[in-house]
Amino acid sequence: MAKQDQSGGYILQFAPFQSFVDEGFWHRLSSLKLNKLGIDDSPIPVTGFYAPCSHSQVSNHFTLLSESLPSNESEQCSVPAIPRSNRNRCSVPGILYNTNTLEAYHALDKKSLLKEEAKKIWEDIHTGKAVEDSAVLSRFLLISFADLKKWSFQYWFAFPALVFDPPATVVGLKPASQWFTLEEADSVSAACNDWRNSNLTADIPFFLVCIASNSHATIRHLKDWETCQGYGQKVLFGFYDPCHFPNNPGWPLRNFLALICSRWNLKTVHFLCYRENRGFADLGLSLVGEAVITVPQGWRDLLRVPNAVGWELNKGRHISRVINLAKSMDPTMLAISAADLNLKLMRWRALPSLKLDKVSSTKCLLLGAGTLGCQVARMLMAWGVRKITLLDHGRVAMSNPVRQSLYTLDNCLNGGDFKAMAAVKSLKEIFPAMEAEGVVMAIPMPGHPVSSQEEESMLEDCRRLHELVDSHDAVFILTDTKESRWLPALLCANANKITITAALGFDSFLVMRHGPRPLNSTHDLKAEPENALSADMDSLAMADSGAERLGCYFCSDVVAPTDSTADRTLDQQCTVTRPGLAPIASSLAVELFVDILHHPNGIFADCEIADSSNSGSSEQPLGILPHQIRGSLHEFSQTTLVGHASNCTACCSTVVTEYRKRGKEFLLQAINHPSYLEDLTGLTEFIYNETDDNDDDDDFVKL
Amino acid sequence: MDVSCWDGTLSLNEFSRAARTFAEKWKIGNSAFPPWLWVNVPKRPFVASQQVDGFLSLENICLIRPSKVCGAEVSHLEEEETGFSEKEVAIDDATLVLSNHHEMHYYDFHIVYSASYRVPVLYFRGYYSDGCPLQLNEIEKDLPACSAKVLLESKWTFITQEEHPYLNRPWYKLHPCGTSEWMKLLFLGEAALAEKRVAIELYLVSWFSVVGQVIGLRIPIEMMNDRTN
Repeated sequence: MAKQDQSGGYILQFAPFQSFVDEGFWHRLSSLKLNKLGIDDSPIPVTGFYAPCSHSQVSNHFTLLSESLPSNESEQCSVPAIPRSNRNRCSVPGILYNTNTLEAYHALDKKSLLKEEAKKIWEDIHTGKAVEDSAVLSRFLLISFADLKKWSFQYWFAFPALVFDPPATVVGLKPASQWFTLEEADSVSAACNDWRNSNLTADIPFFLVCIASNSHATIRHLKDWETCQGYGQKVLFGFYDPCHFPNNPGWPLRNFLALICSRWNLKTVHFLCYRENRGFADLGLSLVGEAVITVPQGWRDLLRVPNAVGWELNKGRHISRVINLAKSMDPTMLAISAADLNLKLMRWRALPSLKLDKVSSTKCLLLGAGTLGCQVARMLMAWGVRKITLLDHGRVAMSNPVRQSLYTLDNCLNGGDFKAMAAVKSLKEIFPAMEAEGVVMAIPMPGHPVSSQEEESMLEDCRRLHELVDSHDAVFILTDTKESRWLPALLCANANKITITAALGFDSFLVMRHGPRPLNSTHDLKAEPENALSADMDSLAMADSGAERLGCYFCSDVVAPTDSTADRTLDQQCTVTRPGLAPIASSLAVELFVDILHHPNGIFADCEIADSSNSGSSEQPLGILPHQIRGSLHEFSQTTLVGHASNCTACCSTVVTEYRKRGKEFLLQAINHPSYLEDLTGLTEFIYNETDDNDDDDDFVKL
Repeated sequence: MDVSCWDGTLSLNEFSRAARTFAEKWKIGNSAFPPWLWVNVPKRPFVASQQVDGFLSLENICLIRPSKVCGAEVSHLEEEETGFSEKEVAIDDATLVLSNHHEMHYYDFHIVYSASYRVPVLYFRGYYSDGCPLQLNEIEKDLPACSAKVLLESKWTFITQEEHPYLNRPWYKLHPCGTSEWMKLLFLGEAALAEKRVAIELYLVSWFSVVGQVIGLRIPIEMMNDRTN
């Protein structure tokens, strides 16, 4: 809506500059701040760019790019010199006030900063510099606060414009093609195109359009004003107009009028808002108008700087702008999206049925942070698992870093860091998005009695382990002794958690998944109804697959064929193993785990053996899901085996029931009395029995 | 080179030649758009190659969105009120207050040679009129409807985010792992009509005829038909 002044003339309203800050500018500013400036907050000279409008519906923006800032030599980048010719960007000097805190940003005296820049323009007008180098008429101001922790940038532009009071009015604003005669229009277009195509003048945004009486037009520098006088010439003041509006000229005209009025004492000014289309002058889009100026008092006085306006509105409001670039600048976020991409590529290109979300959300508990623990953690991380808890009571020893892939020499110094904590730190250094936790604790072991003073703390450890098992979705038993695997196996059976065991000998390994919880374990007296429901579901699942329950590590220990190389049994204390073994076993353990997650029956899945006739099992996207994998480096061989559940000391219903019924007393007995468990399960008898009544897995045994 | 024993890839030199051909044909056939510009890349100090390295660039392509202020767009701009009094930042009568808030999306496209896949790769990014980058879900809304389908169904075209090889900032790209396969098919089809020779300088023209569809940049028929120059 055009405004009218008192005398009824239409106030000349200018369309403000619209700012555009390329992402590269913020990158360069961050780099400067971090590498060079530090806390130095003195104003920084910057360069802005604009060009004439080239689109009938979209204004050209006042642009800041990475090149707008002084270069930072220590920055490593190979930014090519973009060969945009000068015609597409007129450079404009400006100044940046970047504060160190948000408070300082808010405390900036915007009024006086604007006044200071307006003063510079005013001086340039009076000294004649603006005639020589007219781009200074569009001098600008930028204030900003860069939060380099959150990668967010607050900023506000000001384009100082000297104010006429009373405001200038406009007479007859219309498209240039309607104002010029046809001949004049052709000549003006040609002259403008020449001006725009010459390297010497293409980036000069203010100029004179002189039209002789024979309709021949020439474009001249502002400093040639004197020579354009007389000879019946019409003179228009032309400028590159970034805005596209049909009824309003762009912002650069404001200070241009101030210059014209002040230097050449004109009160009516014919102006040309030069706009283009596809690189050529467009006189339909360009505007010609006549401005009528009432020269204010004191306009010729250098010392009386007129008022200025020019702070940019933000969608019509007087507030700062904010841009958040965390997604493209925060290294952690970049690492996360890159790691995700890798997995997604796997799904897109190879296995569309991969359940990446399921894998990444599974909470994994790793018991043991040694050779197996470190490798399993890394492999899980590669699969996208984010939540890993590592439990280990030991410290990193000097011999560890070469074999245990999360530790370095630093971890061994000063007595050695706790493994669990060092592992967590290392995981986060590799991939910051890991949610890793460490627990420094020893696992209570049967046959390793504790004194009465230590009972309390031992039971506390048991309770803690029970909670850890409950609060995770999958457990990897990666310790180095048989006894230390007992309690975890029991707790996992009790809680029905996916359990993977890996055990190493000198050159052989075992990787297996434990079967589900025993079916007929009687419930606690305090059992919730859910337990009954889940038990029913369990039996349904078992009945469905028509299979026997698969065994745990201890079940196998009894019924599996003995290792033919008898002196190379697994889990000897102070195991010395061929270094290649742990990574192989760890990798298999993780792949087996991922397989389970993809199987529709999960923990209840029946076993599938390689080269069985049941090749329908290859329907599963990741292949077969075995129960046990046993391998030997001696022959470079590997086989898959099955071992069904037995009356073992860890996972059978007898033991689980006892644990549930008697809790602490049961644990104390099991740990303090070496033969208790065997007696409980009748194992001692069983070993001496000839019958192999393997079907009666879940007999109740009379105590 | 006979098309039947061609693997669908091209060398860096061939890419430079094909880029020149592509840019020329584009200028002639697609005058509605600004031209593609060749950007030279300064040689990195440790690379011994004598070859000229560079990429094609088409920038500031503007997409006008219908004027609606949706939550996402507003929220990226408005944050804390700074509490400045209106007097401090007053505007005067001579300032036009812009009333309509058409949201404008701008796009930059770069065609970059991938040395590991030996094919061209299309990198692109989008941003609002104030420079704030567009996220992938917003970009996908700007893509033509048919391309959304192509992206979902084809295992040969999908958008990933990776660091631009020269600008060191994350850009989106159409992943190149299937490119050599479908380029070979494309040329096989065309070779059936013309000679058996692989006109490598037309590589980019053919390549873009497929890739351009995904991002909504149509390639006019005229560019495809002229096989003489």
